[in-house]
Amino acid sequence: MTDPLLVTEAVTRRYGYRRVFADVTFSLRRGEVLALLGPNGAGKTTLLRVLAGLLRPSGGSVTRNGTVGLVAHNSMAYDALTARENLAFAAKLWGIVDPERVEELLDRLGLVRWQDQRVATFSRGMTQRLAIARALIHQPDILLLDEPFHSLDDPGVADVVRLLGELVSEGRGRGRGRAIVLVTHQLERLVQLATSVGYLVHGTLVGPEPMDDRSVETIAARYRGLLNRA
Amino acid sequence: MYVRALAFTPVERLQGLAQKIYYVHVPVAIYALAAFAVTGLLSIAYLWLRDERIDRAAEASAEVGVVFSVVMLISGPLWGKPVWGTWWAWDARLTSTLFIFLLFVGYLIMRGAIVEVDLRARFSAVLGILGLALVPFIHLTVYLFRTIHPQPILFKPSAPSLPGVMLTTILLSLGVFTLLYVGFTTQRYAVASLRALREEELLSDA
Amino acid sequence: MRDYLGVVWAIVVKDATVEWRTKTAFMSAVVFAILVLSILYFARDPTAVSSMDIAPGALWVTFTFAAMVGLNRAFLLERENQAIDGMLLTPVPRTAIFVGKMTGNLLFVGFVELISVPLFVLFYNVSLAGRLPQLLAVTAMATLAFVAVGTLLSAMAVRTRFAELMLPILLLPFLIPPVVGAVQLTSRILAARPASELMGWFKLLAAFDIVFCVLAILLYEATLDE
Repeated sequence: MTDPLLVTEAVTRRYGYRRVFADVTFSLRRGEVLALLGPNGAGKTTLLRVLAGLLRPSGGSVTRNGTVGLVAHNSMAYDALTARENLAFAAKLWGIVDPERVEELLDRLGLVRWQDQRVATFSRGMTQRLAIARALIHQPDILLLDEPFHSLDDPGVADVVRLLGELVSEGRGRGRGRAIVLVTHQLERLVQLATSVGYLVHGTLVGPEPMDDRSVETIAARYRGLLNRA
Repeated sequence: MYVRALAFTPVERLQGLAQKIYYVHVPVAIYALAAFAVTGLLSIAYLWLRDERIDRAAEASAEVGVVFSVVMLISGPLWGKPVWGTWWAWDARLTSTLFIFLLFVGYLIMRGAIVEVDLRARFSAVLGILGLALVPFIHLTVYLFRTIHPQPILFKPSAPSLPGVMLTTILLSLGVFTLLYVGFTTQRYAVASLRALREEELLSDA
Repeated sequence: MRDYLGVVWAIVVKDATVEWRTKTAFMSAVVFAILVLSILYFARDPTAVSSMDIAPGALWVTFTFAAMVGLNRAFLLERENQAIDGMLLTPVPRTAIFVGKMTGNLLFVGFVELISVPLFVLFYNVSLAGRLPQLLAVTAMATLAFVAVGTLLSAMAVRTRFAELMLPILLLPFLIPPVVGAVQLTSRILAARPASELMGWFKLLAAFDIVFCVLAILLYEATLDE
């Protein structure tokens, strides 16, 4: 059994005088999908940014035993460049020399048809796919996704769910499976994908609690209960 | 403090009224520059230690410095007109202080345009350090400019040996302004600290 | 080192591609330059002030103001879609990002200057014959000076409330040493003054360049959220 990919220990983040969250502790192993639920403004995005390394924790520690890819609210893409150019630039920044990598990702994410179109013309679904492609370009072990289903149509959602399932199980046999942290409001998707659920409420993380065979209703009830606990 | 500031001016009665401005103008100028240096040094300290109180002190010093610069820039021409015959001459000290004043103002304007405390402190520190590095260059520029364009008027009646009365007065004045600078800055710092405390209380309740 | 420069170059190319496709900043800067040059030419009494007197000043005011129009574009680009995060997630050294942006700005301002100079020669009836190398040196050094500081200040300005206004306010004091130096040098070079008169100003420019390039590169990281 290998070390967990991601370990957080009493992570706290302050913003000015406010404490966004405190005492966030969990560890994530390969093959695990941790779903994060929380009300707006609870700090889920901030937590993901801390996990990704964009922000330093104000307290506590984050240990990464693998590389991280982040799919955020914003696409981090340049509208005036094409899909291919965006990926090529990202590859360059990561020091990836193999030109095949960009091709593979364009193919896998179904972007080949639009690869030479500027991102400014993309629909939300296409931009999301590009964002995922960019996050995967360096073949990360840990994938962090911030509301990836947001404003996607049903086929788009289905595609992403399928892709995430693949990403988790890929390479599992060779001990190279991935771990995912998924922030989402959509409980149906959560139930499909998650292996554990954490609730970021009232400034701290409750859980992670294993999914087992919980249903949408159970999760929703638990979530509501925690919110009302005030 | 203020009583002392008023009291010493009657002590001096030689050389015409205009010369008296010297007692205000010189210490204020010294402290404007000092305030600037303090802000610059505190900026370096902030980036090193990241203590928010250092940023508050830098801000306090900057605000006092702006005021002192304005006093210097107003008292300069007031003194200059009767003595030199013109309101403004691009002499080294006035010009340098003008640019330091503009740097201060830019610093405070930028602070005003940023709401988040942490961002504001970091950006102010960066600007403070840049400003500190700039000052020697401004002095150099003005110096080079002047040696090639000599002014027909003396820029400052140099008084290397002051008669006793004037010497005491200027020293007294320097003392007063030291107190003023320290007093104003600490007051301003205290206000900033109180304001920060209140914001903290308001936000922790949220 | 090669990787570092490779990354810097990639950033420059990317920025240039974006700018080439949108062209807004470049066009604005060029139009601005033409306007400023013209206005300054006409804003004087031709019988009292010869064009030669104001020419160096006019040229440098044009360069700096047109440059300020374009300096913000480098970091504004990274704000759209939070593209800067994309760069920060990678192992790319932060200073490389800054150097890339600064180089891009240098090229941008350089092009604007390149276009402005023929217009300058035309409008002000100035002869540059035989003085090109020195003028090039002055232009390069002074441009580097204000682009270095301007790029760092724009990294901060774009995150404040009045970005377009904030940059000139913050940058103007930093323009004094390089622009005064550049104007002094330009006017002396055009008047074919001896080298001894120029050395002081050249040294000032060189010192300014070194100090502020280093300072700007070092301070950039402090402007990033951590």
